[in-house]
Amino acid sequence: MFMKSRSRCSGSFLKTPVIACLVLFLTASLGARAELLIRITEGAGSAIPIAVVPFAESGSMPAGDKVGSIVQADLTMSGEFRPLEPSKMLSLPSERSEVYFRDWRMLGQRYVLVGQLTRNGDRIQARYELFDVNQEKRILGETAAVPASNLRSLGHHISDRVYEAITGAPGVFSTKLAYITVSGEGEQTRYRLQVSDVDGKRSKVRLESREPILSPAWSPDGKKLAYVSFETGKPVIFVHELATGERQKVADFPGLNSAPAWSADGRSLLMTLSRDGNAEIYRMDLASRNLTRLTDHWAIDTEAAWDHADRGIYFTSDRSGGPQIYHMERPGAEPRRITFGSRYNARPRPSPTGDYVYYVHQRDSTFHIARTNLETGEETVITRTGSDESPSVAPNGRLLIYATRQNGEGVLTVVSADGGAAYSLPASEGEVREPAWGPVTR
Amino acid sequence: MKGHKRDIVSTGKAPLKSPVAVSVGLHLLVFGIALAGWSWNTPPEPEPKSISARLISPEPRPTPVVEERDQADKEQERKQAQAREREEAERQRQAEEKARQEAERKAQEEARKREEERRRQEAQARELAEKQAREREAARQKAEAEAKERERQKAEEERKRQEEAKRRAEEEKHRQEEQRKKEEAERQRREEEARKEAERKRLEAERRLREQQLEALADQARQEREAEARRQQEAAAARAREAQMLSESEKYQALIRERLSQAWYPPSSATENMTARLQITLLPTGELASVKLVSSSGNTAFDNSALSAVRSLNRYPIPDNRDTFERYFRQFTIEFNPQRLR
Repeated sequence: MFMKSRSRCSGSFLKTPVIACLVLFLTASLGARAELLIRITEGAGSAIPIAVVPFAESGSMPAGDKVGSIVQADLTMSGEFRPLEPSKMLSLPSERSEVYFRDWRMLGQRYVLVGQLTRNGDRIQARYELFDVNQEKRILGETAAVPASNLRSLGHHISDRVYEAITGAPGVFSTKLAYITVSGEGEQTRYRLQVSDVDGKRSKVRLESREPILSPAWSPDGKKLAYVSFETGKPVIFVHELATGERQKVADFPGLNSAPAWSADGRSLLMTLSRDGNAEIYRMDLASRNLTRLTDHWAIDTEAAWDHADRGIYFTSDRSGGPQIYHMERPGAEPRRITFGSRYNARPRPSPTGDYVYYVHQRDSTFHIARTNLETGEETVITRTGSDESPSVAPNGRLLIYATRQNGEGVLTVVSADGGAAYSLPASEGEVREPAWGPVTR
Repeated sequence: MKGHKRDIVSTGKAPLKSPVAVSVGLHLLVFGIALAGWSWNTPPEPEPKSISARLISPEPRPTPVVEERDQADKEQERKQAQAREREEAERQRQAEEKARQEAERKAQEEARKREEERRRQEAQARELAEKQAREREAARQKAEAEAKERERQKAEEERKRQEEAKRRAEEEKHRQEEQRKKEEAERQRREEEARKEAERKRLEAERRLREQQLEALADQARQEREAEARRQQEAAAARAREAQMLSESEKYQALIRERLSQAWYPPSSATENMTARLQITLLPTGELASVKLVSSSGNTAFDNSALSAVRSLNRYPIPDNRDTFERYFRQFTIEFNPQRLR
């Protein structure tokens, strides 16, 4: 602003531009001080109205969801946007010259996303623009191209770009989910490890077993999953290469082998082993398979996860009588108890920014997902459902996925990290549990 | 003569203060006796002269000595008398011879008596002289004593005088000292008085000045009070207007705040320490004339959310009162700073 006014001044007062500017600036700031000041400390508290105009298409498009629909769904799932139904739009512009801001203002829209898709061989190219209606300003204008078969990826990509342009935080719509489904009964019971888009679409079964599969965990590069499989009759930790389907048994010690969690560099796994008689937390170097024991207590210590700095760990321990969350600042340090709010707090999942830790929290004889502000110690229950379990935080820290029960069935729900908005993923066949939100991969 | 007689008869009681008169008397007596002896044509003997004087002295006739005023007459008379007397004397000389013998005898007797008398008188005279000498001596001594006394007195007087002088000098000195002291005291008193006077004058001047100042202050205070009263009246009126304006302003501030809060969608990347300040200029219709981002939050999405919110209002709620509008809402600042994030 100052630069702007200076250049303006320089034009009008060539001889004494600096002084004139100073005077103007001082006057302006003095004037500003005496002025009325209105402070806005609260926002609307509701989702941002955005019009995602169906993209214009030229050339044949694959069947299925349109890009615009994918973007709308993504933005809706984020809980931060409230896309306008296309049926309510007064016009369907696909480029700037067709955008009448007054119309969109009238419709109460803040942003308008327009675009066009062009078939180019077996690829589809997208050109899209995002406008700030009130400022009548384009804040995003890009092109992207994908194979025709990968239109959903294009949609998620555009969602990410829009989300970041408006909120300033990276979107997570191109990330993956891993989860376990259970179907059938008795002999027919099948456990499946599945991977899907964040909206639950394009799910693929990566492993099917008659025995339970638990605790899928994404490697930091998003290329591998570690999980616990009972396929051998006892819990064993596997590392599963997604691209090849290659599996490695990494922990098959006597007793319990459970709760794998990757380090940020992907070279080691945290795990709970009872090989020494009691459930303790170990770190395994994946290359050498060397184990380092991190806890040593007569109580159960399990469900470890690296803190955001990758220096210490959060874990569950019943050393105080019931399961509670502890933080060990660095290996060997005395664990510090984090949760006090109730008799049951388990399965800690720290946020990527390090300001919160999320966990399963029992209250009023049911289970919720809660978070504790690590700075203030304040605990907030963020889910309104019951029987909630297995929280997993999105890589941008804004969203959280967890398993809950709906009409007697296990389903996955995405919720704003602050609990503001919830979005249930469309139910697949059977029961869904143990979701794991994958990393952002570029 | 009387003196002489008296001198003679006066025995031991010679007047103390007339030794000269005594001496004169004695000489006269001796001369008288000698004269009588001579006139008798007898060899003058020192002693008979005094006898003849003795004889004559019973004669009440005045002594020739006293009557020798007319020398010539007296000479004549004396020569005649002498002739007669010589005749007479011859005649008588026998008689007288006898008589003289008689007289001689008598005279001897007389002389003896006179000698005795003389001796007695001499003794007396000596005694007298001695007495006189004693007296003189006494007188001398007395005089000397007196002189001494006088001397002493004089010395005493001198001493006294000196003492007096000294005393006087002392007194004078003392007096002068006293005088000096007195003068000093007087000087000091005068100075003190002068000082007091000066002090009094100073105080008086100060008092006057103070009074003047007080008066001026009082005057000023009065004027100020009046001015203040006027001001207060004006201020009260202004305040009333102001209050009205303010209450109106506050009302519309609240409305604007509410509308903007509803219109603001803080982005998910917002943090509580992000603040964006926008300067708003409105038209009298309540429409937005211009908006300037005067202070960025440092986050583009945040700044945009604020700008978008500000621009999202078609018309700002503004007071009908044009003064209030001009004063508060023609141009103002909006600060976006989330205090409670979701």
